[in-house]
Parts: sequence; C-alpha cells; structure tokens
Amino acid sequence: MKKLLSLVLALALVLSMVAIAGAEAAQDLPRGETIYFGGQQWGPINGWNPISPNMNNAMANAANARGSRTVMFETLYMYNMLDGKLYPLLADGDIVWNDDLTEATIAIKAAAKWSDGTPVTADDVAATWEVAQKTQNSVYTGNAPYIESITAEDGKVVIKSKLTEDGKPVNPLMIKDFVSGTYIVQKAWAEKLAADNGDDAAKMLADPAADVPYSGPYGPYFANDQMVAFIRNDNYWGQDASMWGKLPVPKYVGHPIYADNDAGLVMFKDGQIDVNQNFVANIQKLWEDEGLPIATYMDQAPYGVCATMPTAFFNMEVPVLQVPEIRKAIAMAVDYDQIIENAMTNQSPTFAQVPRSVMNPTDGEQALYDHDAVKDLQWVGKDVEGAKKLLDEAGIVDTDGDGYREYNGEKITLNSCCPNGWTDWQAAMEIVAAAGQAIGLDITTNYPEWSIYQTVFTKGSQDEYDIFMYSPPGATPSAPWARVRALLSSEFIGVENNWSGNWGHYKNDRADEIIAAIPLTTDEAELKKLYTEATKIYLEEVPSFSLMYRPDVFHAVNESVWTGFPEKDDGNNIPPMDCTDGYGIAALYNIEPVK
Amino acid sequence: MILPEAGHGRFSVERGHSTMTKGMRKYFKKKIFWFVITLIAAVILNFILPRLMPGDPVNAIVGKNISPNATQEQIQEQIAFYKHQFGLDKDLFGQFWDFIKNVFNGTFGVSYSQYPRTVADIIGGGIWWTIALQLPAILVGWLLGNLLGALAAYKRSFYDKALMPVSLFFSAIPAFGAAVILLVVFAVNLKWAPVNGAYTTGMIPSFSWNFISSVIAHYQLPFWSIVIISIGGQAVGMRSMSIYELNADYVKYARFLGIKDKKIVRYVFRNAMLPQVTGLAMSIGAMVGGALVAETIFSYPGLGMSMYNAITTSDYPVISATTLIITIMVLLASFLLDIIYAFIDPRVKAAQFD
Amino acid sequence: MKNTLRNVFHSPRFLVGFIIFMVMVLTVLIYPWFVRRDPLVSLGKGFLEPGTYVSVYDANNTGTYRVELPEAAEKRLEATLPTEDRQTMIDYLKAMGVDVSGLDTSNEKMEDLLAAWNANYDEADAKKNKYEGFATQAKRNALRRIDNKIKGSNNDVAMSVVRGEGDDATVTTVEGSDYVKVNEVANSVTLPLGTDNFGRDTLTELVKATGVSLIIGLIAGTIATLLGLLVGLLAGYLGGIVDDILMFIANIFTVIPGFVLLILIYYSVGQEARGVTTCAIVIGVTSWVWTARSVRSQVISLRNRDHVNLSKLSGHSLFRIVTTDILPYIASYVVMAFILQVSSGILAEAQLSLLGLGPKTTDVPTLGLMMNWAKLFGAYTSSNAWWAYFPVILVIALTSFSLNLMNTGLDQVFNPTLRD
Repeated sequence: MKKLLSLVLALALVLSMVAIAGAEAAQDLPRGETIYFGGQQWGPINGWNPISPNMNNAMANAANARGSRTVMFETLYMYNMLDGKLYPLLADGDIVWNDDLTEATIAIKAAAKWSDGTPVTADDVAATWEVAQKTQNSVYTGNAPYIESITAEDGKVVIKSKLTEDGKPVNPLMIKDFVSGTYIVQKAWAEKLAADNGDDAAKMLADPAADVPYSGPYGPYFANDQMVAFIRNDNYWGQDASMWGKLPVPKYVGHPIYADNDAGLVMFKDGQIDVNQNFVANIQKLWEDEGLPIATYMDQAPYGVCATMPTAFFNMEVPVLQVPEIRKAIAMAVDYDQIIENAMTNQSPTFAQVPRSVMNPTDGEQALYDHDAVKDLQWVGKDVEGAKKLLDEAGIVDTDGDGYREYNGEKITLNSCCPNGWTDWQAAMEIVAAAGQAIGLDITTNYPEWSIYQTVFTKGSQDEYDIFMYSPPGATPSAPWARVRALLSSEFIGVENNWSGNWGHYKNDRADEIIAAIPLTTDEAELKKLYTEATKIYLEEVPSFSLMYRPDVFHAVNESVWTGFPEKDDGNNIPPMDCTDGYGIAALYNIEPVK
Repeated sequence: MILPEAGHGRFSVERGHSTMTKGMRKYFKKKIFWFVITLIAAVILNFILPRLMPGDPVNAIVGKNISPNATQEQIQEQIAFYKHQFGLDKDLFGQFWDFIKNVFNGTFGVSYSQYPRTVADIIGGGIWWTIALQLPAILVGWLLGNLLGALAAYKRSFYDKALMPVSLFFSAIPAFGAAVILLVVFAVNLKWAPVNGAYTTGMIPSFSWNFISSVIAHYQLPFWSIVIISIGGQAVGMRSMSIYELNADYVKYARFLGIKDKKIVRYVFRNAMLPQVTGLAMSIGAMVGGALVAETIFSYPGLGMSMYNAITTSDYPVISATTLIITIMVLLASFLLDIIYAFIDPRVKAAQFD
Repeated sequence: MKNTLRNVFHSPRFLVGFIIFMVMVLTVLIYPWFVRRDPLVSLGKGFLEPGTYVSVYDANNTGTYRVELPEAAEKRLEATLPTEDRQTMIDYLKAMGVDVSGLDTSNEKMEDLLAAWNANYDEADAKKNKYEGFATQAKRNALRRIDNKIKGSNNDVAMSVVRGEGDDATVTTVEGSDYVKVNEVANSVTLPLGTDNFGRDTLTELVKATGVSLIIGLIAGTIATLLGLLVGLLAGYLGGIVDDILMFIANIFTVIPGFVLLILIYYSVGQEARGVTTCAIVIGVTSWVWTARSVRSQVISLRNRDHVNLSKLSGHSLFRIVTTDILPYIASYVVMAFILQVSSGILAEAQLSLLGLGPKTTDVPTLGLMMNWAKLFGAYTSSNAWWAYFPVILVIALTSFSLNLMNTGLDQVFNPTLRD
C-alpha cells in the first residue's frame, strides 16, 4: 500500500514536471532585482508581435493614446495626464505644425537605436504606417479617417492630415493621439514579416514574432502559463543624455499569471507583486489596520488620480426618457455620496469637490471650462424633494394611486443595467434604482453577463436597456474633446457594433457643431467658450450623467522590495500609471531597492 | 470459494459455459452499441449546447481590438474577418464538420477569447496540472478512505464509533469551504504554506531541486483540500459495504470451517470493493472538470479555470472541447467498468437474462 | 410501521442527526420572532466586526452613574497611543540618531517620549533624509499618522457636551468617571456576527439563508427523488428496450457536465425568472440519475421474487404490481435516497452560487449566495472578515452532516446487519 502510494505520487510529480519542463536556459528571477506587476496580464501570452491586437501580452503590447506601455516597444511621445503634455520619447522635440494644421513634422532622436544595433529613423515610422495599412490592424482603422499619409522627408517624419472638402484638416487632435498611442516598428522587420507570411494579413497578425527587434529598455526573457518575464537590455539607447541619462533600475520585469483579482490581491498583500493595477475596496485598511507596506499616490481619499467617469446613459429611443424633466429628476435623486462611499470606497472625489461636467477631475481639464457659468445648472445628489417637485411641475404625477407616476397613462417602468460581476457598478445601479423608487418611478435592476451585455448595448438600436452604464474615454491627448464626442455626438446613432460612444443615441445639432469646431480651434479663450457651452448642454439636457469618478488605471505599490514610487507633490511630476504607461515609466528610473 | 452444488454443477456448468459465452457476446455487443450511440449523441450535444448560449463572441473580440475612431465600414470588415477566422460564417452543418475535423487534426479549433491560440494549446497547458492535482488526490483519498472504512468495519470498537461521525462530518464540508479555510488558516495567517500558484513566482521550470521542492510546497494545500473531503466519503461507503459483506453467510461458514481470518478478509474486501471501484472510475472520469473550486481559490493553473473563463466569455470551441474530453473520459470509464464487471461479477450477467 | 418508527428513533445516530437538524429548522422558524429586523436592511456601510455598537449621541443623553475603575487611567493612555506605536516612535528616534537610552514604552516614560518626539520629528525631514528602516512611503505615512494622533489626542483634557446652539446652548461637563448603563441607551445593537459587505446583520441573514437553502434542498430533493424513482422503477421492472433507452438518457445526463446544462437553462429562462425556485428545479432535474440507477438495481433484484411472479401470474396490472409488490420493499431505500438528495441539493446550490451560477438576486440570501458575496467582496482576501464566510461554511457542513447522520441511522434500522 505504501509503495503504491509513493509510486503514484512520484508519477504525478513526474507528469507535472514533464509537462512544464519546456525549460529554457533561463535562470530563476532574483527577487531583489525584479519588479513584479499585477492586474494587467490575464492568461498566458500568445507572442511578442507589436502590430497585432491578439498577442495578449499586456506588459509588452499595450498601446493606448492615454499612455502606451513602453517597456519593450516605444512610441514617438509619452502622454502625461497630470499636465496634459506630450513628452518626447523616440521623437526629438515637440511636434511642428504648419499654419493651417494640415501637416505635422516630427524629428527622431539621433541616439535612438533598435535592439539589434541599427538606428531608429523616420523610415521606420513610415514603414509602421505601411504595415498597418497592409494588415488593417487597429492602428490603421483607428487613424485612417484622420491621417492621409505618413512619409519620411529629410530624415524627419511628416504626417499629412486628411482634409475636408474645404481643405480643413479633419481632426488634428487625433494626430496627437496617434503619436502617443502607436508603437514604432523596424522597417526591415516589417518587410521580413510580410515576406515570411506571404503578405497575408491574418497570418502576419497571428505571427508570434519571438525575435522582433525592439527599441525599449526591456526585451523578452521567458514566458509560460505562470509568468511573463523581461530582461533589461543594457545597451538600451535611452541611457543617452538626450533621454533618461541612465538605465532603469530593475534588471528584470515580471508579471505572474493568476486566476482572478482575489488571487492577485493575495499575492500583492504577500509582497509577491510590487505594482498592482486592480481596484481594491477600502485599500486604506491594508496599511492602516493590517500594517502592510502598501501605499498609493495619496494616502488619503481619493488615494489616486481619477481620469474618467463611469456614466449612466439614458436610452433616448424610449419615449418616457425623451422627457427632459424625467431624466433630470432621476439624476437629481441619486445619492452620489453613497455611490462613492459604497462603490468606490472613497477612491473618488465627491461631486461637491469636483462639480459635474464633461471634464475629468484632473487639474488640466478642469481649467478648460468656466465653472461659474454653469453653477446654476449643477445639482446636488439625493435631492428627492427637488426631483419630485420637478416632476410634479411637469405634470407627471401618480394618477391611479399605486405609488408610481404615469406618463401618457402608463406606469413608468424602467430597468437599470450593468454587467454582472462588476460589483462597484452593480452597487451604483442599485442606488439609482432606489432613487427612482423614492421619487415614484418603478426602476428595477438587471445584471446580464458581460458576454450578453456587450452584444446588446453596442447594437445600432437600443432596444433592451433603459438606463445602462459604460465609461467614456479617460485622459488622452485628444481629451476632453474625445469625451464630449463620445457623450454627445450623433455620428454614432445607427452604427452597428458601436464601441465608440453615445450609446443612448442622443441627438443635438448644436452639440455636433461644437464637436466639429473644437479640433480646429487653437485660441484658448475660444476653446473655453466652446467647452463651457458643451457642458451647459450636457447639464441641461442630461442625456447621461456621471455616477462617480474613477482612475483609468489603479495604482498601488507594495514597498517590501522597492521604494521611491510616485507620490503626490514629490516634485517629479510622474503620473501614477503603474510605472509603465505613458510618462509614468519615468518611475522605473527613480525607484530604489529597500535596504 | 466452496460451492455446495459442486456435484450437480458439472452438467449445468458445461451447458452454462456455452450459454455464458454466447450470452457474454450478446452482452458485449449490446454494451458496445449503446456506447457508440451515447458517444455520438454526446458529441452532437457538446457541439450544439454551448452554441445555444446567448452572447456574440465576435462582437466581444472586435470591441477589444477596435479603435473607438474606426468607421462603420471598418468595423464591419473586422467583424467579417473574425467571423471567417472563427468559422462562424458557415451554417451549422459546416461548423459541425469543422468541429469534427479539428478534433481529428488535434488542434480542437481556435479559441475565440484567446485568439489566435488554439484550443489544444489552452487545454494542453492546463490539463496536466489538473491531472497531477486530481489523480493523486482521488487515489490517495480513495485508498486512505477505504482503508479506514475497512478497518472500522473489521474492528467495530470504539474506534469505529468515533471514526464514523468524524469522517461523515468531513465529507459534509463543501469543497470551497475546505479550500478557503485551509487558505486562510495555513497560508495567510500561519504562513506555513504558500498562498497560490503552482510554484514560486519568478521560478523558471527546470529539473532542479529548488524548483521541485517549490512545486511540492505549492501542491500541499490544494491536494489536501480535496483529499480531506474524499476520505470521509470513501470511509463511510467502504464501511457499510464491508459490514454487509462481513455478515454474509459464506463468511460465517468459512469461519466455522476454521479458515484463518486473514484469508477470509481478502475475499470479503474484494467483494466490498466492487461498488467502490465504480465510484473510483466515475471520479477519475469526471476529474478533469472537478477541481474547479480548488483551482480557482488557490490559483492553480489547471483546466477548471480555463473552462470557467470560457463559459463567461462564450468561447464555444474551448467549452465544446473541454466538455468533449470530459464526456469521452466518463463514457470510457463507465464502458470499461461495465466490461470489467462482466468478468468479475457473475451476478451482473445473470441479471441481464431473466 | 410503528415498530419501524420506534426503532428509527431509538437509533442513536439518527437521533443525533435528527436533533441537529431540528435545532436548525426551529432556529430558522423561531428566530424571526425574537429579532424582528428585516434581514436585508443595511445597518452599515460595509463590513463591521462582531461586537456591540452604541450610539454616542444617545449615550450622552442618558443618565450617568459614577463608577471608578482602578485601571481606568492606564487603559486610557494605552488606547490613545498603543504600545506598538510607542515602539515605532522609539525606533524612529533611534534611527535619527537621537539618544533613546532613557525611553521605553511604559506609561511612566510617556511624557519623556512625547517630549523627545515633538522635539525631533518633522515630516519634511523624514522625507528628505530617509532614515534607515523608514525610507519607504508607507513607513513615513505611518509616522505621520502617529504624529496626527498625538496632536489630536485629548487625554485627560476637560471634555464638555454642548447641547443646542447660540444663546440657548447648555453645556454639561463630562467626567472620566461618568458611565452609562448600556441597556438604558436608546440605540444600541449587538451584532454577534458583525455585518456582511452590504452592511446587513450576518446572523439574521444567516438564519434566513439557512431557511431558503433548506427549501431549495427540499424542492430539489423531492424532484430528483420522484424523477429517479419513476425512471428507476420503469427501467428496472420493464427491462428490455425501455430500460436501454432510459439508461441511455441517464448516461447522457451523466456525461454532459451539469453546469453546461445549468447555464443554458438559466440563459434561456432569462433574467427575471432566475430566482430561487428555478434554481431548485434545475438542480433537481440534473441530479436524479444516481437515484434512478440505485432504484433500478434494487428493482432488478426484486422483480424475480416469488410474490412478484405470483402477481404477474394472477394478471394484476402493471401499476398494481409496482405499487403493491415492489414499492413497499424499496420504500426504506427511497427515504434514504431522498435525504441524501436533499443534502446534495443544498451542497449543489452552494457550489453553484459560489461560482456565480446560482439564483441571481440580492433580495433573497441563500447560503451559497452569502459565500459568493464574501468571495466577490474580498472577505477573505482584502478584508479578513472571517465572520462573513466561516459561519456559513459551518452551517452548510452541519446541515449536510446532520442529514447524512440521519441517513446512516436509517440505514442501520433497515439493514440490521449494520447495527452495532
């Protein structure tokens, strides 16, 4: 019996090891030289190909206008949401526009080099655009409406904007998004990729490209179903004085792969993860009550920098919701303080601190509109009496005594929806439903699975959900214009598979005009007027309303191994973007090991 | 065993022998027939059922990849592209044919949510960990449980009176209960065991002692959370069967004849084990899907987690493939069991032909 | 029958299991009479630890008694500045290079410690110099919190309560020896198991959830047993092609993993109908196979008995033979199977709800849903709220245990060989 037992155990162990010993010559990662990330990578990676959206390689391939991850591949500029500026990375100096904003010229840093030693040139940028066009990947589909061509002239990159009929550029703001959100790939590699895959777009995008040349500070080291690891390239060009002046401090970058947020949190508390991108409810308890060496950007509420607003959209195709008083009454009655306390556990500023508008709470965006002009349109939450009065005055009353108001003779019944399992959003929807009930509207909650929710709310016609949640864009170079567009533009009405915005299908011609005018306006006073008008429309019409503020990425650090992470008012102006996104990567050059 | 009818039995045995062979053949033919029918029905159901679930996977992957600024035409192009890649632009028969083809060429198709990873890749990654976790746990639980149960039945003393309720209690603890309690008590608070994963973060798999000891250390909690519960169940079952057998006539008779207990016990427990073997076979058959809870709580990289993710993301190929594997394993297990039973338990055959 | 019942209730195992089970059922039934609170009303915002909570406002409006506790002053000091904080202060001063030889964490040295601290601690200085052991942001924040505590602490300071505003205000002084009797305070609540993440009283919710889970188990068990009985009887007695087809269907149910069927049924039934009853029905419909197989094998061994053959020869109808000749012999077995089905129904609901596949409601708690909320809201990861999941696990285990114990007891009664 004992022999059988030990035989069986040994067999099991051998089996498990045989399976995982696709062992490379790589060595175990030394803890003191590795920085571990959490909350970005779900499931094992598919490859290292920078032009493909399906590599599932979060640490290497996460290009985003709000701040691309430049751990392995690099963009021309890095966006810093704290001041809204673009900091040059591969580019040399700022973007040089021509007078009518139709052409942008960008120089490339002389010191910039690929991991195989060849220099990064403007030809590489042109090749990036070419291969995007060939494969029709998201770089191309996202930017082709705005960019006519990208060419290399005299060693500089020239981006020509698409023009409208009267010769105006369609949208110069999107070019700023492009330079912050696109990885530059090597021309020689792009050509080889095409040749190896016979110019077949699907094959090129599926190619794992394990030996792709990269310009960033870290390169591939090891990957399996438990972890992705990168090793520092000690010849990284960025140590040149024209860029960072030194190498990033950690030698290895790792990301363990685990099942869900809970598992990640357990590892974070245990010190196995240094920088965690996950919402942790009541995160202050971790250091106040449990005494763990965990810290966030600020150690008091709101603990981080919020850049977006989860929003409740009204379905404007529902007749009841076409009455502005009903929309405003619902928005007035919701108890936002309770949402922020319950759903965000105070990790968001309140609406008293940052009055609602189309801007996010960062200082940069808040300065872009005139607060006083819209003060009278603001409403405080939990105003049940005010909401009831509004409805009574509009003639929407309870005629048959069942406790609910009627509209056109029918009881007002609405559903409020968000995906199941998104607990903070579910808490918010419960509070919205409770507000509706308090003012005499029968609002009930509905939590479909994400796989169903994403199919329904992106349809060209909203036919199932009355009040539903989603988030407009956060902090990007083209914000707040991009957000105004996502909230108010009628161009998305009727679009199938609509992931872009205005899911409530609200139409307002003046708003459309504003949205068309902002990208072409450079005069700051004029811009402020336009944004203020957009805010006015938003607060009067209430096609949707913000429920809370939220960071784009959550940023929490465990200081058992590394310290020196970004803190508010530490003078470094590094945004808390998990030390890797946009200008946030500057943090990797400032941290130091804990002695 | 001494049969009282030995004298009469000769002729009946001879006649019975040829009847038995023809009967056996008929029995096997019937079993094989139903096995094949069940297999076909299972394959068809495994294909159809996931696809009846609502939710559009193409919209999901397009939403993940598309830029918010893409135009309507570009979005539709992307949709068409992914529909083609997933084979969803064919009708149901075409998709079914693809499904069968993919099973035979070993890739089981391409996953929707982890495109372009093949399903075989996803399953292959997880299945070994699941088997490595489940198989020893099931076997150890079964062996230890049956041992305890048999001992309890044989000794029938205070040992038995105490053991029975205790093992019953342990078998009543839900799987996640055991897992959570072990995690909180041993890993988080006492820090005797690691909190999750299959081996220490940052280790590269190799045959070094460092790595192996880390795997063993991480193996303990998930392993014991499964074993504790199954010991209880097995002990109770084995005890009942053993007691039943120990009181049978032939045992009393053999004892009176003076045969040593040791020899009798062997026969007794062999008979008592029969139903337990059924249980074991079915457990092994279902083990691939079984460890879902333990794997989720301990973040053990097995198949259960992939399956759960596939369900929540409407990833039909992964769901179909995993359920197909489970189906086939369970079917095979029960089929083999039926065959083995035919050889070792004559009562089974006899019951078929009244 | 009477004899059987008497035997049943004399069996110690059955009795113990029965008692545990009835205690639970009675608690579920009687508890709401004592605690009238709605189990779903939110008492707080998030997890509250078990304990007694007293309203400070009402305590100030209650008559005071004079009580002099000998250790009162010491306890006050300890509460404002716990020993660990004092140790941290000493460690920090040491790291700064200040002479700490005369300082320790005792109450006598408290004044000296505070003096040394106030003289030397400066937030900007800590940040700039990054003393050894205190270089991280987390440590510096901890020091700042200690500093704030010291600055804001009002120990041995005169305290008064101001009632009203302006000219009508009355001021009463609060002495250190003023105590209130907790029972006299208008608003206080004792929460033996604290609150869950929604702020609901865990104990009351647990009692309600146990009731709901028992009902689910009952419904699921009944359906499963009835279905299993029916299929088993028909398959076992009729044999032949009917048997083959029924076993084929049973096999299909076995080989298709249960949760696939469950999810499908849920999705097709839609959001609103995914309540407790639906869950129970679905569990019942997917777990009848085991009962069917057992019943079938029993019936197979019964159908060749003499009395059955006699009935067949007498030309009795199928229905009559089954009900009078076969059913009574397997009745005991069916009862046991029923109990096991109830137990496994409760467990199945718990497992499913934990994975998020259970009833979709925040209106009715079940044991599995309480576990699910504990998991979703980080009770054992981010909060260490043991009261939110450990009692639930215990209750599930006890329920299952008591039912299984009853079953074993019954087994002993019906199979005398198993009696000890």
